[in-house]
Amino acid sequence: MNRKRPLISDAFKVKRFRNETQMFGAVSKGNGPTDIRSTLETLMTLFPRKLFNDSLPQIVIKHQLYSIHNDKTLVDKELNKLREQGELLMFQLGFDADAFGLVFASDYKAKVLAGEDGRATRATVEKFLEKLPSPCTELSFSKDKMLKEFRFTDSEITQLVKSGVLTVRDAGSWWLSIPNSGKFTKYFIQGRKAVLNMVKKSKYSEVLKTELEERRTTSHVKFQMKYHIHDIVGAELVESIPTTSGTLLRFVDS
Amino acid sequence: MLGFLTARQAGVDDPLRLRRAESTRRVLGLKLNPDRDVDRIHGNGINTIDIEAVEGRYMLSGGADGVIVIYDLENYSRKLQYTCKAVCTVGRSSRYVHKFSVETVQWYPYDTGMFVSSSFDKTMKVWDTETLKPAEVFAFEGNVYSHHLSPIARKHSLIAVGTTDPKIQLCDLKSGSRIHVLQGHRAEILSVRWSPRYDHILATASADSKVKVWDVRRASGSLFTLDQHNGDKSKASSEAVNTAHNGRVNGLCFTGDGLYLLTTGTDDRMRLWNSATGENTLVNYGKVCNESRKRLQFTVSRGCSPEFVFVPCGSSVAVYALHTGELVTMLRGHYNNVDCCEFHPDYQELYTGGKDCNILAWVPAPRAPDVEEESTTANQAAADQSSVNPAFQDAWSSDED
Repeated sequence: MNRKRPLISDAFKVKRFRNETQMFGAVSKGNGPTDIRSTLETLMTLFPRKLFNDSLPQIVIKHQLYSIHNDKTLVDKELNKLREQGELLMFQLGFDADAFGLVFASDYKAKVLAGEDGRATRATVEKFLEKLPSPCTELSFSKDKMLKEFRFTDSEITQLVKSGVLTVRDAGSWWLSIPNSGKFTKYFIQGRKAVLNMVKKSKYSEVLKTELEERRTTSHVKFQMKYHIHDIVGAELVESIPTTSGTLLRFVDS
Repeated sequence: MLGFLTARQAGVDDPLRLRRAESTRRVLGLKLNPDRDVDRIHGNGINTIDIEAVEGRYMLSGGADGVIVIYDLENYSRKLQYTCKAVCTVGRSSRYVHKFSVETVQWYPYDTGMFVSSSFDKTMKVWDTETLKPAEVFAFEGNVYSHHLSPIARKHSLIAVGTTDPKIQLCDLKSGSRIHVLQGHRAEILSVRWSPRYDHILATASADSKVKVWDVRRASGSLFTLDQHNGDKSKASSEAVNTAHNGRVNGLCFTGDGLYLLTTGTDDRMRLWNSATGENTLVNYGKVCNESRKRLQFTVSRGCSPEFVFVPCGSSVAVYALHTGELVTMLRGHYNNVDCCEFHPDYQELYTGGKDCNILAWVPAPRAPDVEEESTTANQAAADQSSVNPAFQDAWSSDED
């Protein structure tokens, strides 16, 4: 974008009498401290629950928030606050070192227990969920921790892995995970690839955001278009350029 | 601006405040100026530039063909249009020129009588500026990626050298010895940097994803290794290692006061660390494109109120606010990859060099005239086409054009 006027902060603005402030294209809303929570909730509504028969809690990817709020450091700080309060849980999703999934803690516990109904592993999972420190700021657990702090036996740990609450990370350490999230990851990656291809195949590898939202999705894209758009913009796989006709998404070749 | 001036005059404000405010305003207004140019001498890409610390007048540049050029940045002609002339060059015809590309050049921190250059021909040469002959040549076993002389050291004159060897060598300028070696890295050293705050603290970045901070007075190993997760083992993908980045770490830069250290890596991330404790401040700069297989030379502004980081990203330079991580602007102007950039603290100018053999000077945009004066200056603008400062304008010549 060519800035013909230099960027100067408010302290240095020369007194100019402006006729009106004309806003065009994308208008960013103000950022208050509670906005992160409401953004999270809005993004959660984009998650398709029916697709997984309601067995999965609503998952939002952390970088989807970056596409809505400009200040990434602030978003990170607010998320850490929410995690420390015990309201939010963060998971390492596995397909990308930087992709973290966010789930409301209450949602997570409810869905996991609902999923365990009638299974032999239910008791162990319940015990694990209870033992989970209430403000849980960790993404993974080592064997030491499981055996000593949580007092789980080896066989119980195997049961937890079987039920999907833990996923193997290293020899002797496990990631905290969402049971049955494999399907989610598969559809997510598929959908992301398909949407990126749509942007790439457009003329000049760029497309207006509003136009992309309206395009017919192929059968590969199982999630809502908006969910994917937030994801690719936040992960900086496409460049988001404000223009007079709205936001333009341009494919980033790297 | 007038507000700041009167506040300073009345003693309400600290004098530093006006200086900081004006420096920040100037940095925010950086752009290419058609009046300022740098002589084009290099026939191949420019790998490194350095501006001397004493006067800020002379600039060194090292190119991919082994050529080293010295430019004079001061504008003593009384015209606005100025090309930074090359004062002297160590060209291909010189007997002592480097055989392969020059990777790092640095002025001797105390005067311009000497400068040090290191190159992929596995040598580091200490040059005498007057005669342009090397006073000393240090030969190494691998390509030299980077070297650095401490800008504040009084008690020692060590040059830290990073090569393809995982050991960092410290060469002494006074005695010519190279017995001091720092061991600890496991792969080639891509960048070394002395702290501008303490003359014994050295930071090194390596292709094994680690950044180590050393105290050269100690006999034992490094002081600490930077850990991107701040010791939270649960976030890393494996239990074992303390890594600063998820890929090769190829750029290091201390802030002007030496309190913070910035690192860039091939995982497309830039991180800000507290240099005393090694803690990751977790400022999120987003994706900082980085594909360099060698050292990336980036720089931090000095003397501004929110400091700015200038990072070469492909063929443009990204400007980020240091502590908040927001992208302020992208400086576009080069035709090919930008390899190096250097900030001139006295004039708030940025010099960038890249593969398109150009060095571009980014100069703060001049102030626009005030609203009240616009009607009168519109008439004079036509007459004022010659960009001569009115103070130097010949009062005899006619104003019609």
